[in-house]
Amino acid sequence: MIMKWLTFEYRRRLLCLWMLCAVISLSTQDAYQKKIDKYHEIWTSLIPKYVKLQYAGSMGFLSFGTGWDYGKNNQWETDVFLGFIPRYSTDDFKITFTLKQNFIPWKVRLNPSFSLDPLACGIYMNTVFGEDFWISEAERYPSGYYSFSTKLRMNVFLGQRITYNIPASKRYSANAITFFYEISTNELYLISRIQNRYLTPKDYLGLSLGLKIQFF
Amino acid sequence: MKKNAQFMFVIFLLLFSGCDLFEYHPYDGRIKGERNINYKNILRIEEACRDKDTIRFLFMGDTQRCYDETVDFVTAANRRTDIDFIIHGGDVADFGLTKEFLWTCDILEKLYAPYVVLLGNHDCLANGEEIFRQIFGDENFAFQAGDVKFVCLNTNALEYDYSRPIPDFHFMEEQYRDSTAHRRTIFVMHVRPYSEQFNNNVAYVFQEFIKRFPQLMFCLNAHDHRLSVDDLFEDGVMYYGTPNIEKRQYLTFTLTPNSYDYEVVDF
Repeated sequence: MIMKWLTFEYRRRLLCLWMLCAVISLSTQDAYQKKIDKYHEIWTSLIPKYVKLQYAGSMGFLSFGTGWDYGKNNQWETDVFLGFIPRYSTDDFKITFTLKQNFIPWKVRLNPSFSLDPLACGIYMNTVFGEDFWISEAERYPSGYYSFSTKLRMNVFLGQRITYNIPASKRYSANAITFFYEISTNELYLISRIQNRYLTPKDYLGLSLGLKIQFF
Repeated sequence: MKKNAQFMFVIFLLLFSGCDLFEYHPYDGRIKGERNINYKNILRIEEACRDKDTIRFLFMGDTQRCYDETVDFVTAANRRTDIDFIIHGGDVADFGLTKEFLWTCDILEKLYAPYVVLLGNHDCLANGEEIFRQIFGDENFAFQAGDVKFVCLNTNALEYDYSRPIPDFHFMEEQYRDSTAHRRTIFVMHVRPYSEQFNNNVAYVFQEFIKRFPQLMFCLNAHDHRLSVDDLFEDGVMYYGTPNIEKRQYLTFTLTPNSYDYEVVDF
């Protein structure tokens, strides 16, 4: 009798334990999957959505970049660029890096194939590599001797864009190609302009052209 | 709206096409226009002053980030018909940007009188010195006007962390050896001895050496942005410092066979 009760009790306990384990394992499996999905989602969102090629614009002769668009209407874009500057009259060829924030408030659809961004604007920070350029002056100078950085430039720009939306049947690797132009300047040119009426827009403004190839 | 937008786009493109407005980088070193300006102007100065016994020149400097004032200086200098040449004491650029050199050159090239430009400490910033070298020429140079030799020196030792011989005694020695053609000497520098930029370890040695040149008349410097007239070493050698161009002043020097005179001119 005692044996039987024990067995029954034992069985009941085992069953309970098994059910508990099943519930735990199910919920952990669920949480695990969620975590993995989230992990994939984060890394997927980091895949650049487009590439850009920019000519001029105080960031190099040519700059190659990539980036991400986001926002309700993809009105925000953040780009990173590597640019290069030939030697010209200096001793060294130079490489630059740019972090650029774009804001494209409106999109005008011209027809099914073309759309226009009447305004694209933003700011970008450019840094140029090389021992001639410093973030803050070397220690040998009295403090505050030169109160600016030769290495970092802040630029502002205004521009416009036109986009060709590639029909689905003709897509190879991109779904749209955008041509853009920008007019930009930097803080040192602006300071110079503010203090000197002599400087005209052609002195302190620069034009640049670019292409954006949108993957998805 | 669509038509308007299309129209605007075309207008914008037209506005900016055809102009050389593409900016590669503020320090790209793309130079358009004249090069080797000091060399070319020295030929003009030496030719024009060869047999003159009275020489008159203007000394100004530190035109950095003062384009409006520099334009006015050029207008003022061009109104004078009594000057043989002009010396710019250095600091053409403020940030060492390529365009700063080009903007200033555009203004200075309108001068009727020949001019030479010294290397200032701001001209050394970033790759500025490389640009300076292309546009104006060597950092150390000398020329002769009448019987006076002008020795123009880079004295911005702090810019090079004392890794280069500045002032360059080798160059000065060459000039010293080549002392046959001139009777008198004037030294010109951006930074004078005992300034924070000067290699003050050799300030006294420098002074003793320049005194060995034939009849050292006086020294000229810029950099301090104020007018200064000092017997710096209390040995009778005067150092004349020019105000920066922002003060709308320059110095006029008149060298006569046995003396000289100077004047501070407002413009």
